Amino acid sequence: MKAFEYATAHSVNSAQEMVADNGQYIAGGNDLLGLLKEYIVDPKILVSVKSLPGLDRVETGSKVWTIGTNVTVAQIEDHSAIRKTFPGLAQAAAEVGSQQIRNVATVGGNISQHSRCWYFRHRDVLCLKKEGDMCYARHGENKYHSLFTGNTCISPVVSNLAIAFAALDATAVVQRAGKPVRMSMAEFYAKAFENPTAHNSLNPGDLVLKVEIPTTRTHSAYMQTSEKHEFDWALVSCAAAANITNGKLSNARVALGSISPVPHQVDAANEYLEGKTLDEATVTHAADMILHGAKPHEHNGYKVPMAHALIRRTLLKLNA
Amino acid sequence: MNESEPAKIGPFSRRTFLKSLGTTAVATAAVQAQTMAAELEKVNAEKTIGPGTVPVTLKVNGEMLKLQLEPRVTLLDALRNYSSLTGSKEGCDRGTCGACTVMINDVPVYSCMKLAIEAQGQAITTVEGLAKNGKLTKVQQAFLNRDALMCGYCTPGFVMSVTALLRKNPHPTADDVRHACSGNLCRCGTYPRIMEAAFEASGVAKVAINKTEVIPYA
Amino acid sequence: MPDPANLSWPKETKYISKSTHRVDAAQKLTGKARYSSDIQAEGWLYGMILRSKWPAAKITNINLEKALQIPGIKAAILIKGNERTVRYYGDEIAAVAGTTKIACLDALKAIEVTAEPLPYVVHEDEAKKPDAPKVWDDAPNLSKPKVTEKGEVDKAFSECATVVEGFYTTQVQLHHPMETHGNTVSWTDEGLTAYASTQGITSVKDGFAGSLQLEQSKVRVITEYMGGGFGAKFGSGVEGKAAAELSKAAKAPVRLMLTRFDQGLAVGNRPSSFQKIKLGASADGTLLAYQLDAYGTAGIGGGGSSEGGGGGANFPAPYIYQIPNTRVSQATVAINAGSARAFRAPGNPPASFGMESIMDDLAVKMGMDPLELRVKNDPNPVRQKEYEVGGKRVGWKEKYKKPGSSPGVIKTGIGCASGSWGGGGSKKTQGEAQINPDGSVEIRMGVQDLGTGTRTVLAVVAAEVFGLKPEQITVKVGDTNYPPGPGSGGSTTCASISPTALDTCTNALNELQKQTGVADARGENWFAACKKLGVTPLVVQGKFQDGLSSRGAGGVQFAEVEVDTETGRVTVKKMTCIHDCGLIMNTLTLESQIYGGTIMGMGYALYEERVMDKLSGALLNPNFETYKLTGLSDMPEFDIVLINMPERGVIGIGEPSVIPSASAIANAVANALGVRINSLPITPAKVLAALGKIPAPVS
Repeated sequence: MKAFEYATAHSVNSAQEMVADNGQYIAGGNDLLGLLKEYIVDPKILVSVKSLPGLDRVETGSKVWTIGTNVTVAQIEDHSAIRKTFPGLAQAAAEVGSQQIRNVATVGGNISQHSRCWYFRHRDVLCLKKEGDMCYARHGENKYHSLFTGNTCISPVVSNLAIAFAALDATAVVQRAGKPVRMSMAEFYAKAFENPTAHNSLNPGDLVLKVEIPTTRTHSAYMQTSEKHEFDWALVSCAAAANITNGKLSNARVALGSISPVPHQVDAANEYLEGKTLDEATVTHAADMILHGAKPHEHNGYKVPMAHALIRRTLLKLNA
Repeated sequence: MNESEPAKIGPFSRRTFLKSLGTTAVATAAVQAQTMAAELEKVNAEKTIGPGTVPVTLKVNGEMLKLQLEPRVTLLDALRNYSSLTGSKEGCDRGTCGACTVMINDVPVYSCMKLAIEAQGQAITTVEGLAKNGKLTKVQQAFLNRDALMCGYCTPGFVMSVTALLRKNPHPTADDVRHACSGNLCRCGTYPRIMEAAFEASGVAKVAINKTEVIPYA
Repeated sequence: MPDPANLSWPKETKYISKSTHRVDAAQKLTGKARYSSDIQAEGWLYGMILRSKWPAAKITNINLEKALQIPGIKAAILIKGNERTVRYYGDEIAAVAGTTKIACLDALKAIEVTAEPLPYVVHEDEAKKPDAPKVWDDAPNLSKPKVTEKGEVDKAFSECATVVEGFYTTQVQLHHPMETHGNTVSWTDEGLTAYASTQGITSVKDGFAGSLQLEQSKVRVITEYMGGGFGAKFGSGVEGKAAAELSKAAKAPVRLMLTRFDQGLAVGNRPSSFQKIKLGASADGTLLAYQLDAYGTAGIGGGGSSEGGGGGANFPAPYIYQIPNTRVSQATVAINAGSARAFRAPGNPPASFGMESIMDDLAVKMGMDPLELRVKNDPNPVRQKEYEVGGKRVGWKEKYKKPGSSPGVIKTGIGCASGSWGGGGSKKTQGEAQINPDGSVEIRMGVQDLGTGTRTVLAVVAAEVFGLKPEQITVKVGDTNYPPGPGSGGSTTCASISPTALDTCTNALNELQKQTGVADARGENWFAACKKLGVTPLVVQGKFQDGLSSRGAGGVQFAEVEVDTETGRVTVKKMTCIHDCGLIMNTLTLESQIYGGTIMGMGYALYEERVMDKLSGALLNPNFETYKLTGLSDMPEFDIVLINMPERGVIGIGEPSVIPSASAIANAVANALGVRINSLPITPAKVLAALGKIPAPVS
């Protein structure tokens, strides 16, 4: 990595001032140090946001829970109230990286992490995402890549937490140009769907402050399949959340990771689930709807049946 | 920073900070803690440092390590190459193998993915800091008893992961051990033995996960 | 008293064939053990290598000036000259030494390399084509095949009751020891000292002397602790020579360890294999005819003009089983990628995968129990015993079901496979024992402990002979100043050092008794006898003796798996490993070797694969993120059985344990699914493809 300056911010405003146009925020540092070590980013300054006041807490509420950007993934995994209220979120946290990573990785870092595409992460490959002229994955080794995208790049979103947040209809609060902006997970990633160089919708200097989760849904679940049994990126991940009253679903939401640059959600499928009973026929139909239009490439077609299975299983897990 | 609130140091309060030093050595720790707090305050001052070298003070295994480092130097690099603490190993330098695992305030982290300047003001424990007066810890002894090591290069990292697990969860299940140790790789293949060692160290007398037997040919 | 002229292993033992804890465990567990990468010689510098970012290119100029201007940089050198052709992504270009790692990183960025990219080819099937870019100008990518024929193959096939054909492929596997390759080297006018991470201090010494034109008497190689090798760490290497030259230029010791990225690219691998096999048997299952048409790549070391080609991509065929009529054709193909090196049981895991897969395919087609088919055709009496023991142990008769008959979404299966390895001891091994007047003992041998427990075995033998405890023996290995020991490879170490230690210690005991007049100096008499030495220690040599070790060991493994037919993921539930290894020296560390080999075989079966990219020519996964090693969470239950055969003497076990694991797992997966995955690693993608669940690509 190249040399950089370093500063610790004590207020959101000063953090944004110091990071300016050519800095990077650092919290857990897992993602950023990886990028720095491969010379993929080259910031003039790293601004630590770990000391920002009040952003390292989980605040419960009757309608909304707030999770500060500096809350670690391990804290979410171990948080007894989160495990009870948003089990899908705790399950997603448990599948993040390894214990060593979860201990330092933060909520803000997890949802704003960059692509894991092996071309993007490669020090000597200048791909579309790094403002090169082609998406290598599209025509090359794409077993870990997307089934859906709105642009030429087929690098998928890999944040576990984002998938769980999407199913829970959580909102990210982002400090932008001096004031907080609220974004759904769909909005938080929308830019990556359209723009190959984007990993999410954040502008330079934008800072994730917290994530708010409505308590609307009483049930949630998360599942993923990886090649290895632990400490491996999801080939496909799936989160679901809903209310279940007398066996009937309401407000159901399903989101998938690692198959699109954004948490993959299909409104029509969520609407279809309204009022339905959780059974094989329902979940199979929902999975069909969610995966309709998938465009497999040479090596990632397996993600279609895998995602289908995960959707069905995650929805059925809501009943567990 | 509000000067009327000196107890607030960065992400944690001075009280938790002191607590993290452990209760056995509070008297000496208190003096050290003041030094550390002063260092921490310096680090946490909202001023830009680097890109050249800056003074960095690390508290490793209870001792103060004063170094002059660029902000980009990782904790692992600082331990192995700017001091003589080579017990923590470099296996990948990318947070994927766990050979560099150390504990920071009793929590295992990859020292290769942590900037040294960010490890200031915290209690860092490396594998060198576990055995006291030449006596192996329970975890180390269990590794020895179970032959939970071969070439030994990944071993310090595993010892740290298992030690941290047992501090947090003294009676882990097999799944707990898997979950806590999935961030450490061993190419020699000592995993089944490590599982046994973790159980032995946790006080489970007999572990019957695997069977081994010698039988005669004739 | 043992008779030196007629040495034999003791029948009644206190330590041999029992379990002794590693004598160096505490050093490793406390961080005190100094690995080659831990050496901090006075004034040491950090060293790093710049590698080609082109898969093939003509380098026209390398400018080191700017690198030398980076603060802290003390030396920069060219590797293999200024104008040359690089032939793979990762080929070494230059090296730097500086006071810190960050200075070296900056220096690598500052080196200017001008090059004209050349056409390249990184996949075997592409490289075989007549119009493919040539890896070497003067040799074909695809070698002529080496063909061997025995019996009357075509006639035999025509007489077979059942004939099966299949195409089986194995991937390129990387060694990835946890400690990378490298050295700390100090080269002055007095000579060269290298702390090497190696499996062979003697061969590394030879390598340094040869590559640097040094007198061998001026070279010393030390390996106190090293972090694994698996076959790839026998030479001084490009990185060793670079460290030496940097040391000379900078007038300081240089520690140059490869990065994990370097490790993936340039220091060896297990070649791939593509095996078209035809196998036929009579109605009772007797194998009659076998035909193999195979090729594989050893990177730039493959291909060439010779029959069979270079690089070590060929493998033993047919594997293990007795077949009277065989036709074997093997070629290798060059691609623009790092060359192969010996890798734990070279050739055997791919050989086993092809053979054991088609054995099961044949059994299925014949409606025969695959274990019975093996028993019928395996000529090895020890493996016959292992089939019997293992079959009972796993409950084969009850568990083996018709392939694909397991009900439900999660299907279970069981599979079996075998392996064979030579090994044997090296006659050149020598040792030395020093008995001090205070009773302390040093055993010195120029061998190295790469994690197998070599030190402990030496302590066990010495303790047995002297009637002491292993912890009372100081074992000194890993220094070319000691009497020469073997390289640690090919499962030959234990079989080399144990007889040598027995000879050395027996000589020492006899000499001690002779000098002191004590009739039996062993055990409780030890210290009194030693005291009679006065002030001068006793130093006695010994050497390898025949008749105490042997070669030829095998093993049979059984795998039980679960396959999720919706996600495609395979979970290994249990591995039952039945192995023979002659006289067991230390049961504890031997078991560890079998765990280790089997777990490495699991990685070969399910997770590991080097991925080359045709679009950039680069290796895409020179890391542990996407080159996936088996982890603790992937562990099955183990049942390890050692067949004790003390009458055979000592035989190594490192290689045999890695051979059958992947084949057994693949057979278990085929048994679960009723359809074979003919290609390693068996990923979810391949399982779902085999089950016909994958839609066609859209783009």
